[in-house]
Amino acid sequence: MPLTRYHYSQAVSAFFEMPTSDARRILPPHLQPLEVQHECSILAITAFDFTDSMAGPYQEIVLSVIVPPLLSRDRGMAKSAFYPFLVGTSTEASREHAIERWHLPHYMKDLDIALEPSDGRMRVDVRDGDRPVLEFEVTEYRSEPVDHLYQSFMVNGSSRFKVDIHMRGPHSEHEEEVGSLRLYEHPMTSQLTLDEVATYPFREQWMTDGVQVFEELETI
Amino acid sequence: MSNVRNASDGYATASTRLRDYDYTNYYFGAGDDAFAILEPFGEWWREAEFGTGYYLYALPMGSAPSTRVSIADPKTGQTRHELINFASYNYLGLSYRTEVIDAVCDAVRKYGAGASGSPVLSGSMDLHKRLQREMADFKGKEAALVFPTGYSANVGLIAGLMRPGDLIVADKLAHASIVDGMILSKATSRFFRHNDAQDLDRKLRGFDGKKLVIVEGVYSMDGDVANLPEIVEVCRRHDARILVDEAHSTFVYGPTGRGLAEHFGLDDEVDIHLGTFSKSLGGLGGFVAGPQELIWYLRGFARSRVFSCALPPGVVAGLLKALEIARNEPELREKLWDNARYMHELLHEAGVDVGDSTSQVISIMIRDDAGIFQIAEDLLRAGVYINPVRYPAVGKHKSRFRMSISAAHSRSDLEEGARIITSVLGKHGKCP
Repeated sequence: MPLTRYHYSQAVSAFFEMPTSDARRILPPHLQPLEVQHECSILAITAFDFTDSMAGPYQEIVLSVIVPPLLSRDRGMAKSAFYPFLVGTSTEASREHAIERWHLPHYMKDLDIALEPSDGRMRVDVRDGDRPVLEFEVTEYRSEPVDHLYQSFMVNGSSRFKVDIHMRGPHSEHEEEVGSLRLYEHPMTSQLTLDEVATYPFREQWMTDGVQVFEELETI
Repeated sequence: MSNVRNASDGYATASTRLRDYDYTNYYFGAGDDAFAILEPFGEWWREAEFGTGYYLYALPMGSAPSTRVSIADPKTGQTRHELINFASYNYLGLSYRTEVIDAVCDAVRKYGAGASGSPVLSGSMDLHKRLQREMADFKGKEAALVFPTGYSANVGLIAGLMRPGDLIVADKLAHASIVDGMILSKATSRFFRHNDAQDLDRKLRGFDGKKLVIVEGVYSMDGDVANLPEIVEVCRRHDARILVDEAHSTFVYGPTGRGLAEHFGLDDEVDIHLGTFSKSLGGLGGFVAGPQELIWYLRGFARSRVFSCALPPGVVAGLLKALEIARNEPELREKLWDNARYMHELLHEAGVDVGDSTSQVISIMIRDDAGIFQIAEDLLRAGVYINPVRYPAVGKHKSRFRMSISAAHSRSDLEEGARIITSVLGKHGKCP
């Protein structure tokens, strides 16, 4: 399978502390949650505004638990590894594409995912029709071009998968704890104990005008 | 990894990737072999140690940790002498006081080099008992218990007192020894946003059962102090016990030097007082002070103490002498504060960012994870020994130098040190 490229105008990600007990419940048995602190695991919320892809332009929100990367002698160390436990998108075509190609679990309705940058802040507002799903905000820091390697783990029935993902583009990252998060009761967030998820991110990342490159899907 | 660039998009790839990495990337790695992490870690370390500056940690000191020190520089093979020392937390300058050294030597001649036993068996000498009595008296508590280190005091106390099903809530910036005690206790653990009493309230809400809240007096990476009045109020409202780790604030804060709780007039509101002997007293060990029943209980259940050898008698004798000096010479504490205030002034006047620090621990904020090691090297070569701190010890882009001020510093030490620091920081664009 050739490399799969998704061009984006905006990609923001924030890491929030969540109870390890929730993370373990979400993860399949072969994955362990990474802990930022004792009994504090990491919920990653990532939003994309894709401008060009095999599924056309669309917006996407990804809820993941951070897990240790799988080590490999012939590859670089991944910067982070994710287990996306629920993905929401703005189009049916993008859902079908990601389910078929990457086995990613999706919320099956179109979501309104608004990425609104202004004055060094990016506000992401996710709604399901009239129902709010979540709102989060990240802030900008010094930006520099990078090619970061990440890993994503997926399951489909008893099959386990991994894919290496490169994020290329200008990247800003910091831990100033100035962003925010509000989660609402919604099927997208039902696996989380909402009161126990931090209301501010301990890490904020922001990339613009770059490309997300998926390598070949591996069965593990 | 080869030094390649991706021609198609111009973004640097493999060679810069190693520099982007830090210790955290090598903490956890899935796989079948426990050694699988070692090869990628080794590859990173070979570049990181000298390539980025990690060698600046644990530089061999060839002198007492006084105000001027000799430091071996493994990068150049030279030993640098007469560096102004802002790295050691010898806050009262007691580790090398003649009376302390004499007390250590006399005790070693009388008792030998080691205690040769657990404190609950044969390792307790009359010196240990005396130190416990004198610490209890100094802290104004019924009793005190001495531990081999400050680390073991936290681990032993927390795991000795709390059990599975209990709740422990600690400040997010709590020391590793507190976190490790929480882990060992198997109690449910929560962390509240640094110094945020409202978030502490949120974390305690709705829990029925035994609760322990843990904060520090002075936070060692930021040099700020616990918001104790509000935190104590929240604890009382939730019937939670409170432990204050006064490692960096004992002998520094309070009218008699008992610590931050005394400073705020909350000495009796704090349930458990903990501290170390390695900071202001310049020795080694830790202590817990509180009600007699607590101390009796910990004698049996604080496993880090029960299953360690007692402190060497020479160390204990030195601590007793250092404690006597600290109590009898309050002018040392006044001098420390004069010095800390003066250094704060010098740095403020020079436009140096000291973050939230208000104590004798001053954070010189650099906020440049990639650049701080080069600045540290330049400071070393210019005559100042000071420790860089960067991610993951602090947050990303919150790198800083942790400056420890001592009562032993002279005005000229402080002025020369500040001049060197501002000059080097200026060259790196880190101060005006």
